[in-house]
Amino acid sequence: MRINSIAVRLSAMFALVALVVFLLIGWALYLQVEKSLGLLPEAEVEARYSVLESAITRYGNPEHWAKINAKLKQLGEEDKRIRFWVVSDNPTYEFGNPSPEIRAFAKGPLGMRDLKQADDQYPFKVLISQFPAKEQRPPLRFLIAIDTETFWQTQHSLMIALISLAAIGILLASALGYWAARIGLRPLASLSLEAQKLAPPKLTGRLQLSPLPPELNQFVTSFNSTLERVEQAYSRLESFNADVAHELRSPLTNLIGQTQVALTRGRSAEHYFEVLQSNLEELERLRSIINDMLFLASADQGSKATELTCASLAEEVATTLDYLDFILEDADVQVHVSGDASVPIEKAHLRRALINLLHNAVQHTQPGQVIRVDIQTEADHVRIGVANPGAEIASEHLPMLFERFYRVDASRSNSGANHGLGLAIVKAIALMHGGTVFVHSEQGINTFGINLPA
Amino acid sequence: MRVLIIEDEEKTADYLHRGLTEQGYAVDLARDGIEGLHLGLENDYAVIILDVMLPGLDGFGVLRALRARKQTPVIMLTAREQVDDRIRGLREGADDYLGKPFSFLELVARLQALTRRSGGHEPVQIGIADLWIDLISRKATRAGLRLDLTAKEFSLLSVLARRQGEILSKTSIAEMVWDINFDSDANVVEVAIKRLRAKLDGPFEQKLLHTIRGMGYVLESRSAD
Repeated sequence: MRINSIAVRLSAMFALVALVVFLLIGWALYLQVEKSLGLLPEAEVEARYSVLESAITRYGNPEHWAKINAKLKQLGEEDKRIRFWVVSDNPTYEFGNPSPEIRAFAKGPLGMRDLKQADDQYPFKVLISQFPAKEQRPPLRFLIAIDTETFWQTQHSLMIALISLAAIGILLASALGYWAARIGLRPLASLSLEAQKLAPPKLTGRLQLSPLPPELNQFVTSFNSTLERVEQAYSRLESFNADVAHELRSPLTNLIGQTQVALTRGRSAEHYFEVLQSNLEELERLRSIINDMLFLASADQGSKATELTCASLAEEVATTLDYLDFILEDADVQVHVSGDASVPIEKAHLRRALINLLHNAVQHTQPGQVIRVDIQTEADHVRIGVANPGAEIASEHLPMLFERFYRVDASRSNSGANHGLGLAIVKAIALMHGGTVFVHSEQGINTFGINLPA
Repeated sequence: MRVLIIEDEEKTADYLHRGLTEQGYAVDLARDGIEGLHLGLENDYAVIILDVMLPGLDGFGVLRALRARKQTPVIMLTAREQVDDRIRGLREGADDYLGKPFSFLELVARLQALTRRSGGHEPVQIGIADLWIDLISRKATRAGLRLDLTAKEFSLLSVLARRQGEILSKTSIAEMVWDINFDSDANVVEVAIKRLRAKLDGPFEQKLLHTIRGMGYVLESRSAD
C-alpha cells in the first residue's frame, strides 16, 4: 500500500472528515448532557423539599417532631445519596448530628449551595431553608443535601463512551472509505489495463469512452489524441527506417558486388584502380546520407541553432545565388529577389536551407523561366518564400513534401547526391531556429519556404 | 614533420598511418589514451590527431592533461556528430574537429592548415607548364594567350593552382571558393570545374586539370600523359 495511492489518500481524508464531525457532534452532545445533568441534583433536592416543607411548617410540638425525625431517617435510608440536617438552638429539634462545619455552613445564605467536604471527591448540592418558630419549636434551618458523585460519574462515562465511539467511527470511516475508493477507482484500473495493451507496434487501438464515468472523458480524449500523434510519428519512423535501409542498400550492393567480381580472378592494376574509384564514389554517397541523417537526428533531439547572428536575409540569398550561379546559368533560369529583413540566424545552417530550397526550385523550373524569392516581415515572423512556375502539386502530397525521403513520383530516379533529404533538412533547420516550413501550389506557381521568428 | 595519431580502431589507425606516411609525415601511433598522452608529452609533435572514444583515458581526458603542459595543435576525431562534443572539444583546447565519417583528403587539408598557419608567404604568381597565373591582377594566360575567366572561375583556378599537385575534394573546393562548408544537393563544383576545364584545357593539347574519381580534382602538369 503506497502512501501516494489515491485510495489511501482518500481514506485518510475520510478519517479526517470523520474526526472533525465526531469532535463537533460529541462536544455539543457533551455540553448539552452536562447542562441537563447539572440541573438533576437540584431538581431532586427540590422535590424532597416540597414533600417535607408543609409538615415541618405545620408541626411545632415534640411528638410531632419525633414523627418528622422518623420520616427524615426513613427517607435517608431509602436513598443513600440524600442527607438531611436540621440545625437549631434546641438539640431536641435537630437532626443528623450536625457537625460544627455543617452548623457554620447552615448559617450561611439561604438557597441552593455547594458543600465541599474534606474527605469527599465530589461536592454535595445543598438546599438551605429556614423555618420560623412554631409552638415549642425554635426557628430552625433545614438542609437537604444530595451527593453529586453519581451525576459526575454518569458524565464521565458519557465522555468515555463518546470518545471511544468517535474512535471506532473514525476507524470505520477510513476503512470503509478505502474500500469505497477502491471501488470508485475501478474504472481507472481497467483504463490503465486497457492502455497497457496499446504498446507499439499495436498503436491502432483507442481507449473506449462509453463505459467510463464522465470525469475521465477529458483524460481519455487527450490520451487518445496523444496516441494519434504517437501512432503517426511511429509509422513515419517505421517508413523512415525502411527508406534508410533502402537508400543504403543500393550503394552497398554495388560495393559488395563489384569488389567480389574484382577479386574473383587476377586483374590488371588499372582494373583495381577503377574498382577502387567506383567504390569510393559509392562510399561518398553513403557518407553523405549518413551525415545528413546525423544532422536530422540531432535536430530531432532538439538541438538548436546556437551561433546566432543578426543578418540580412537578402544578403544571405545573394550569397546562395552566387554559389548556385553556374547551376542557374546551365538551367537557363533567372532568380528575382524582393524584400529584406534582418533576423538572428546561424548563417551556415540558413545558407544550407536556402541552397536546398533554391536547388529544389531550379530542378522543377523550365528553361527561360523565373524563380521569385520573396522576403516578407509578418506579424511575429519573417517569411522567405521561393516560388517557381511548375506543374501543380496534388494537395495530398503537400503536407508530406518536407518529410524524409518523400517523393511525389515514387518511381523518379534517385540520381547523384540528391537522396531525398533536401527538404527534410530545410525543415530541420527551420525547427532549429524555432521556425516552421510551408508549401503552396496555386495557379501554376509552387512556393516552398520557411518562417523564421523575427 | 612529425605527427601523433591516438586511435584505437585498428583499421582507421592503420590507414591513417599509411596515408600520412605517404604524404611525407613521420607518424607515431598510440592505441590508447594513456600511451598517447605519454607520447604526446614526451615528444614534440607538429600535430596530434586524437580520437574521442578511447580505452583507458578518453580523448577529452588526454586533451585536458596535455593542455596542462603543452600547446601542441590537436585535431579531434569523433564518431558522433554531436554539436556538444564539438563545442566541448574546442573549449578544452582542441584546434580543429572532424566528425566520422570524414574523408582522408579532408583530414590532410586540416592538417596542412594547422601546420601551414605559422609559415610562408602566399605566392603572387604561379606557373604550371605553359599556364601562368597572376594573383594580383587576377589574370591567367596559357601559352601566352589570355584566358577569359569569370571571377568565380578565376577563384577556382587560383585555389587549385595554389595547391598544385594536391587532390582537392569537392567539399574543400566549395569551402575555399564559396565559403560553403557542408555537403549540398547541388553539384556546383562539378559544373564549375566543367566550365573551367572548357576554357583552360579545351583548346590545348596538354591537359592540366584532372579528375580523380570519387576524390576530387587536381591541377598539375603530367608530362607522361
